[in-house]
Amino acid sequence: MERGYWIRSKPVYTALLWNDKATAHAVLAAGDGGLAVLKLFQQALPEQPITVFYSPAGADKDYLPALQAAVDADLRVFATTAELLAAWADYLATARMGLRIYTAGTEKFMWDVTDAAADFGILNQDVMKELTGSLARSVYCVHCKSLTHEVTSNIATCSGCGRQLFVRDHFSRRMGAYMGLMVDAENPGEVPQIEEIYP
Amino acid sequence: MSLAFKQETFRDDYTFRNSPEAIRRFPFPFPEDQYMYSVNIEPHTAGPKGAVTEFTLDVDEHYVAECRDKAITLEQDPGRCASLPHMMDAEWDFLEFTMESLARDYPEQFSLSKNGKAWTWINRPLGIEQSFVFGDAATLPMGPFEYMGRQVQGDFVLLDQREDTLFADAGIVTSQADWSLAFNVGMSWNEWHGPVPQVTKLGVMDRALKFLMSLQQANPVRRLNWTMTINPRLDTSPENYPLWGGDRNKVNEQNAGELAHLRVELQTLFRMPRSNAIVFSIRCYLISMQEMATYPRWAKRFHRVLRDLHPDLVEYKGITKYQQAVVAWLSRFDDGADIGTGTQPE
Repeated sequence: MERGYWIRSKPVYTALLWNDKATAHAVLAAGDGGLAVLKLFQQALPEQPITVFYSPAGADKDYLPALQAAVDADLRVFATTAELLAAWADYLATARMGLRIYTAGTEKFMWDVTDAAADFGILNQDVMKELTGSLARSVYCVHCKSLTHEVTSNIATCSGCGRQLFVRDHFSRRMGAYMGLMVDAENPGEVPQIEEIYP
Repeated sequence: MSLAFKQETFRDDYTFRNSPEAIRRFPFPFPEDQYMYSVNIEPHTAGPKGAVTEFTLDVDEHYVAECRDKAITLEQDPGRCASLPHMMDAEWDFLEFTMESLARDYPEQFSLSKNGKAWTWINRPLGIEQSFVFGDAATLPMGPFEYMGRQVQGDFVLLDQREDTLFADAGIVTSQADWSLAFNVGMSWNEWHGPVPQVTKLGVMDRALKFLMSLQQANPVRRLNWTMTINPRLDTSPENYPLWGGDRNKVNEQNAGELAHLRVELQTLFRMPRSNAIVFSIRCYLISMQEMATYPRWAKRFHRVLRDLHPDLVEYKGITKYQQAVVAWLSRFDDGADIGTGTQPE
């Protein structure tokens, strides 16, 4: 085992930075991702038009007043991330070459944004990501193929089949989820102690 | 090697066995008494007559039974075959590559005739005759990749090259050593190999990636990989882990010879002409400890490799529970004599 709980296949998330070789900029954030947007707007602003999509859902703090004051751009606010993602898909349908994409929030949110962009031929490497707020993970049950979200422990109960899943340190970008494998398949009933390690 | 196809099973009653000829040609992967990961890639050139590397794709006595087992697995879980929409050119590349290789190397079993784009494929062992239009998927009973993937032994992954890396964007995977296609499909090289221990430190995967990115048509390469499996089970998938995981508890010093199998993967990689994709073939060969011990040199070698295996690899390969039982079973063959280097049986 490596030191700590380093996840080898976990993507590297950086801090958001403007890329001024662009025709337009789209910033998408949810919850505590609002703070990353505030930090982004403290940098020298690019000249091209900027559109910000923000949903306060899941935030620990209310970033909305600060965003409304700081964001000198087209700020679009959505009550839920589902509404935000629907608006994002509509926006992509009319977007042009040279659009730069920035996203901040939970892992699941950022990969939902990335997946929507992929439908329009935008490569994952062209979506800048900053992980904020919870380290909670989405878990894919390899047995029944269900996704269980907001998992903060090493072992999770599958929302689909109810099996106790050991969460493998293996991440799939396409699913935005980690692999979950039945923990007591070899020795039924032997479930190790459940620890909250991804608060 | 004769091609008398055996009736046998890889599940339930596990009637799979190797003939003496199949044992003799087994791709034994240990040239030395110690094992560690390395970039053990070599050109996939024609091996000696009868060897598993004699032809581009190896068809052996287990062909019919393995194709049947694959069909059972696919019927129970259609997600074992997946292909992302942009892979259609690579699918046709794969169909052409497999049909041409089989028809050329095994003319008694397979034939392919072409009249422009109107092709006819005959697979005698499986009793298939199919006329279709090359490039028109509607003229085949299923996608071209799945169609031929079902008619070749082993697993296949189609790798798409972009963003300076390789993406596993299609696969037909029914005899895997505990990895999930449904989970891995669409992954880049580094994401895919994330869970393999020791390799990051050794830089193995970076060097292998660099090498494969410059793979050229007509110059395929190969390597061997290995693990162990209890019972001759091809489908040791994570999906079905609840079905086979418990078998690891059944191994003891008395039954290890029968239950424990060395599982060797002959991995071959071919660059395709239209799509620039790489066909990654993972062919699984199984041999029980008993069958292996018909050549004492191999039993000695494997005894030493398994006994001294790095603890990270023991865990990664899932051998922890029964390592000692198998080492104890094999120890009777090992007199400690120096057996030199090389993988030969005698």
